[in-house]
Amino acid sequence: MSESNVPSASDSPSSPAPKRERKPTPARFLVSPVTLWIDFLMTWVIKVGGIGVIVAVIGIMVFITWQVLPLFSGASIQPHDEVKMTMPNPAVVGMDEWGELPFAYDGDRTFEFYDAHGKNPPQKVTIALPEGEKVTATRYFPEKYSLVIATDKGNVGQIKVRYDAEYKDGRRTVVGRAELGTLEPLIDLPAEAAAEANPATASPAPAPGTPAPATPGSETPAAPAPAPTPATAAVAAQTSTKITVIDRGAGESNALVGAILKVGEKRELRAITFKAKRSIRGAGKMTLDQRYDLTGQLKAAPAQLLVPSTADALIVADDSGQVSYFFQDGDKFELRQSFQPFADSTGSKAIARMDFIFGDVSIVFSGENGQSRVFSLCIPAENNPEQKRIFALTKEFPPLAGPATFFASSQRNKAFLTGSGKQASLRYTTTETIRWEKNLDFDIRQGIIGAKYENLAFLDASNVLHVYELHDPHPEAGFNAFFGKLWYEGLAGPEYSYQSTGGTDEFEPKLSLIPLIWGSIKGTLCALIFAVPIALTAAIYTSQFLDPNLKRIVKPTMEIMASLPSVVLGFLAALWVAPRVADRVPSLLLILVLITLCPLLFGWIWNKIPKIYRLWMRPGWEWSLMLPLLVVLCVIGWNLGPYFEEIAFVYVDPNTGQRYADFGLWWKHTTGGGYDQRNSMVVGFMMGFAVIPIIFTIAEDSLSNVPAGLRSASLALGATRWQTAWEVVLPIASAGIFSALMIGLGRAVGETMIVVMATGNTPLMDFNLFSGMRTLSANIAVELPEAPQFSTHYRVLFLGALLLFLLTFVVNTLAEFLRNHLREKYKGI
Amino acid sequence: MSTNTRSTDEAKPLTSHPRAHNKGTSSTTTSEEGLIQWNELMPQDNPIPYIRVKDFSFFYGPKQAIFDVNMDMGKNRITALIGPSGCGKSTLLRNINRMNDLVENVRHKGDITIDDDSIYDPSIEIISLRKRIGMVFQKSNPFATSIYENVIFALRVAGRNNRKELDEVVERSLRGAALWDEVKDRLHSSAMGLSGGQMQRLCIARAIANRPDVLLMDEPCAALDPIATVKIEELMLELKKEFTIVIVTHNMQQAGRCSDYTAFMYLGKLMEFGTTQQIFTNPKVKKTEEYVAGKMG
Ligand SMILES: Nc1ncnc2c1ncn2[C@@H]1O[C@H](COP(=O)(O)OP(=O)(O)O)[C@@H](O)[C@H]1O
Ligand SMILES: [Mg+2]
Repeated sequence: MSESNVPSASDSPSSPAPKRERKPTPARFLVSPVTLWIDFLMTWVIKVGGIGVIVAVIGIMVFITWQVLPLFSGASIQPHDEVKMTMPNPAVVGMDEWGELPFAYDGDRTFEFYDAHGKNPPQKVTIALPEGEKVTATRYFPEKYSLVIATDKGNVGQIKVRYDAEYKDGRRTVVGRAELGTLEPLIDLPAEAAAEANPATASPAPAPGTPAPATPGSETPAAPAPAPTPATAAVAAQTSTKITVIDRGAGESNALVGAILKVGEKRELRAITFKAKRSIRGAGKMTLDQRYDLTGQLKAAPAQLLVPSTADALIVADDSGQVSYFFQDGDKFELRQSFQPFADSTGSKAIARMDFIFGDVSIVFSGENGQSRVFSLCIPAENNPEQKRIFALTKEFPPLAGPATFFASSQRNKAFLTGSGKQASLRYTTTETIRWEKNLDFDIRQGIIGAKYENLAFLDASNVLHVYELHDPHPEAGFNAFFGKLWYEGLAGPEYSYQSTGGTDEFEPKLSLIPLIWGSIKGTLCALIFAVPIALTAAIYTSQFLDPNLKRIVKPTMEIMASLPSVVLGFLAALWVAPRVADRVPSLLLILVLITLCPLLFGWIWNKIPKIYRLWMRPGWEWSLMLPLLVVLCVIGWNLGPYFEEIAFVYVDPNTGQRYADFGLWWKHTTGGGYDQRNSMVVGFMMGFAVIPIIFTIAEDSLSNVPAGLRSASLALGATRWQTAWEVVLPIASAGIFSALMIGLGRAVGETMIVVMATGNTPLMDFNLFSGMRTLSANIAVELPEAPQFSTHYRVLFLGALLLFLLTFVVNTLAEFLRNHLREKYKGI
Repeated sequence: MSTNTRSTDEAKPLTSHPRAHNKGTSSTTTSEEGLIQWNELMPQDNPIPYIRVKDFSFFYGPKQAIFDVNMDMGKNRITALIGPSGCGKSTLLRNINRMNDLVENVRHKGDITIDDDSIYDPSIEIISLRKRIGMVFQKSNPFATSIYENVIFALRVAGRNNRKELDEVVERSLRGAALWDEVKDRLHSSAMGLSGGQMQRLCIARAIANRPDVLLMDEPCAALDPIATVKIEELMLELKKEFTIVIVTHNMQQAGRCSDYTAFMYLGKLMEFGTTQQIFTNPKVKKTEEYVAGKMG
């Protein structure tokens, strides 16, 4: 050790430290192995626990994201089978639900069913069409597996395609059947000359084509209105008169058949209505009601025809590209609207195809240049003086390569398959998005969407049916669906709307999350507007002014309030507060004003009192003097409310001149907004109660934690208690108060039960203080029980959860930044 | 509230009153009331008694912290309070500007007058009393604002916002606190960037900005290094021309160097009060001698 007297020598790394024996450590310096063990163990327990918490949070986040991601992926398609169809140029191809036994129909009397796996030979089925009769027009309804056909004799019938399971040699095989129902002579095929001579067609009568002589006595479809005499039919058959387009729609108690006839060079439009005879057992058999000739109302020759399943309208496209919408009104067909879908097109305005989307409310029009537009029935707000239900352009899709050559609509949702030449495109109407699009390596003649939206099939020019597996579990989802302003079917214009489930299969889910986000924001704002001033002023008062002995009571009381179950608050809000408050809004307004003025008034009076008397009151107890005043003012406000209402909130009925002193009515007519008993105000009030204790407790803590030295310094410099609180304590506590606000905000955003119970849960988007709302969290609570697992609905709820998560995450992160900034600013104290 | 009778009418010379019942200490020169006459000890220095503590007792709840203290503090003099920890020096000091009112469940007996006005007079606003008395704390406690804002805080809360006046006050106060030259270029930067000694001088500048009559200092140098301490001591000697200073200190040298009078307190009682010279060179009470010699506390 003698050398190390020189510090530089011992510090220098170059000089080797002298080796020496380690002396044994005295026992009193030893640490017990148990202590070390516990220390080691606890270190690890804490580490594992901490990391575990982080992992758990990330895990939840990942899980939710995982549930949500499929919503944003497109459709994917995989080749599955190829079926060679032996029938040349089939008029209709269709497919069973499982994509196992597609069929082809030659457009006359032959059906062929093909085994998609090629194991069995094609089954040939012939329908029982009378000898010598020929089918001239068909239409296939894939959702019903039925066809409507029209023959050259003017007969109309339905063919049902059935798939029956049969057991042969213990093996289950599916057998395809096609059966023709009764052929009804519905359409009177006029001779070319007769058609021209027909005065009805030329007549501009309000209901042109007034019923052909339909005998009132005709009861059964088998013996309907006078059938064309064999003579005329024979003539018709000999001339070039034939039915070229047929369509049929059937509702509960009525049906409608529409047809386009080719009479020589001319074309005519016919409509035949059916009515069901009502009996005790409900609607009975359909019987022919009337026949109409609507040709006269068209400006050009009809080319295409659609009859909706409601069987009350005809939509006809003519050669000029004009669409006429006939609506059955009693026993007349009214031309309700005529429009040109491609009026703005520079080239041809003609319509290549028009087809219904599932639900028969929207029509996809394909233009000669490949344009693809959707028109939907609605009551548009603009250009619609009579407020009629007409067609309006609701969606515009990117154009196809050329005029659409095939079309198929899904029977599950609002998707449709269309394309031109080799191009195939699967599109979704609601969200105006292309789910999938590809140029296949063959010319597509026909396209099919499987009944379960799990298969697609394309028929190529060489009669090979290419069956694909479609994987698109959430076609109605996507960014547009959740955040876009969409024009849903039946609405007057684009809207942010949320309605996840509906009564019918054709229901179009509205999945916009914007109303829910808005509901969350509105609820939170209402709660915070109510809670923040109260909580913060209470915290300031308690920490800076209140007698410390009282503070010891107030603080824990508020902490207990913070742990009050919110379901209790919601219950109170819905069943106790809402009904009482509903007709007492003016009273509340008065009380609000009075209790705000009360402390000001009291403070002013207090300052006027000579100091001698003020000394009677111990500092921190002044409130006890104000309390009676406060109570008195509340009682006064509550009872004066009705009088106030009579002065300020009177609604005068413009018709009767009657005066109603009713705030709800007044509000409705003055602001145009609704007035619900369970409204945002009640939510704000009750949620405020949930939030106040939280904000109060944390803010009070941070205010009390301001170093006493600073308070003393300020007071010693002659600042008043208020000046000290405002100028010294508040800025330093600002970081903590900010946290308090953020935690309060987080609580309000995530609060569920109060909102569920205290509002009507209608996803509205308005600024109305007296209407309800639906928040993201309430939405999850309300709808999760009815959402099937992994359905779009289920995932959308998870998306709501993810949004909540992100919302709180972003808010908290921002808050943390701001808080650190504030803390940095006031640190070192 | 105050239990003793006010005696502002009698204009007595500055006196200390270690009561005769302080056992074993009565051997000193006392008047018939048992009071040491200042003019006897220091005839050449005859200050006007400015702060007078009369029969003052103080209680924190049930615990009595000060027992019947009587002492006068002279105008423009530095009076040091010494004594072992917990003897009630701070309590006494903080009673002078009624900072102890902030503590819960406190009670006092007796009276304190400043310039013959009782601080407990209900007609005196406590705020104006505190404006009259500046205070410097043991732990420097500047506000988290700029140096400038710190200095003018007392004026701000009084609603004085004339920029020119404020500027003058800042310069005068900072010069008064011997800080001006060090911070004049960064008046508007945060006070948190100052060193410990500078912060304490800033607190002094802040305390004197409103030109109080009295400056109370509670161990102002306890947390400072020797150089900063010296600066503050020099400053005090400068400041006493303007203010009446009462300082609590644990540092005997400091008390000896800069105070005019020294009071020794022990267990809440005032044991001895006299000129600093007398207390340090010729203590009359044995406890004082022990304490000053470093044998106690
Ligand atoms: N806020 C308080 N509440 C209760 N007791 C206190 C308080 N402040 C000081 N005391 C007690 O009063 C006595 C005097 O304290 P103090 O005046 O701070 O002593 P010193 O400043 O001389 O060290 C001590 O016994 C202390 O415990
Ligand atoms: Mg002390």
